[in-house]
Amino acid sequence: MDTQWPRFIVFLQERANAPHQYVGSVHAPDADMALMNARDVFVRRPACLSLWVVPASAVLMKTAEELARETITYNREDDGAKEPYFVFYKLLEKGTLIHSGEVDAGSPAVALAAAYATDDGQTAKAIWVFPAKAARCSTSDDIQPMFAPARAKTHFRDQAEFHITTTMQQIKRGQDDDE
Amino acid sequence: MYGATVEPIEDAQTDDNRLREFEARIARGEKIEPGDWMPDEYRRQLIRMISQHAHSEIVGMLPEGTFITRAPTLRRKLILLAKVQDEGGHGQYLYHAAETLGATREDMLDALLSGRAKYSSIFNYPALSWADMGAIGWLVDGAAILNQTMLAKCSYGPYARAMKRICAEENFHKRQGQDIVITLATGTPEQKVMMQDAINRWWWPTLMMFGPHDTDSPNSAVLIRWGIKTKTNDELRQMFINQTVPELLALGLTIPDPDLRYDEESGNWRIGPINWDEFWQVVKGNGPCNQERMDARRRAHEDGRWVREALAAYAEKQSGT
Repeated sequence: MDTQWPRFIVFLQERANAPHQYVGSVHAPDADMALMNARDVFVRRPACLSLWVVPASAVLMKTAEELARETITYNREDDGAKEPYFVFYKLLEKGTLIHSGEVDAGSPAVALAAAYATDDGQTAKAIWVFPAKAARCSTSDDIQPMFAPARAKTHFRDQAEFHITTTMQQIKRGQDDDE
Repeated sequence: MYGATVEPIEDAQTDDNRLREFEARIARGEKIEPGDWMPDEYRRQLIRMISQHAHSEIVGMLPEGTFITRAPTLRRKLILLAKVQDEGGHGQYLYHAAETLGATREDMLDALLSGRAKYSSIFNYPALSWADMGAIGWLVDGAAILNQTMLAKCSYGPYARAMKRICAEENFHKRQGQDIVITLATGTPEQKVMMQDAINRWWWPTLMMFGPHDTDSPNSAVLIRWGIKTKTNDELRQMFINQTVPELLALGLTIPDPDLRYDEESGNWRIGPINWDEFWQVVKGNGPCNQERMDARRRAHEDGRWVREALAAYAEKQSGT
């Protein structure tokens, strides 16, 4: 029996004007709790302005290899009621999936077809789409209670606070002086 | 039916052709993403490695966790709390990476709690004094960083990305450990003795962390061939020895190895024989703390049951209204 909670994909925005990027996933009984879990797992350090969590089952994911193996039959007439979809591309080999914008579509497959048809879509290593309404997004009101506390903690969890190289050089130099 | 359908093109490709293309992609430095074709053995090896790695992060919280209440200053306590919390987070990143290959979180958790799963042998050794927090940070995390820096270049995208995040945070772990070692090694005579004792106990188990010699490591060849690893166990171990020995000696500490010598010709520090009997005993469950670690994990899981039940009940109530 599958007793584990649903999986939510986590997208994180590090700073203003930077796109949200895919960082991982958490399990939670609902979207609100998923957002709290995402905060605990991915925002132990302060570089976060906004988090989105989306049920993994709502995300249509295709790699370039899969898209090359499949044909997308695009039929406008069969399309359902239009709604906004978020589009994510992986454009760099070593990068992750980055939010690139929205398309209006009546189904995930149509949204995918539209995302694939763009210049970025043609060169992307992977494309993800999901309906905007499936995402639970943190708001500007969440920044203070959710992400600000990490800011006050950098002085003991930042590697730059420990001057090991300088200290070791001083110790070694002191020994040279003794000799 | 929806407004568009996605259907597979008639696929006459054989697995041989697919394997050739897969290996060509790896040779070109491309990253494999979930959904891409991959050999079953690639998937199996990755799930094995990533889940073991995740379990190691989770069990790795235990030796240091016991010292949170015994840290010598508030600052040291906050640092240690942050570090142990990081390890928990790293476990979560890694469980996620394994899930992208089809493993389930529930299954992996069950494997850990039932004792089916393996985790790094190093965490079956006890942390006996505050100096052990320094030794673990410098030696154990230092060794882990070498392995993880290599894995950040791994051919599987989600594992490589998780490793990149983890390495950035692990550097803080190593440095806080070095900070403790330097403080104690340059401190009072009692502190120096305490630090030397910790180095004496952690040195050999740390060298064993890199795994068996290349000649006894059956998975190595395929892992390197498919770009999961780019360096062998012995190569990584030698890197660690070369970078660590001179630093510890500079601090007036000694290495518990009578055979240790510097080889001018190769520029390598050469160590004496590793006690592999001890390593295999610990891997098989007979280390000093195997039972204690498993008991602690199971207790934590059971003690957290009411929280999981409360969350599930709340979610159900919310969705009903």
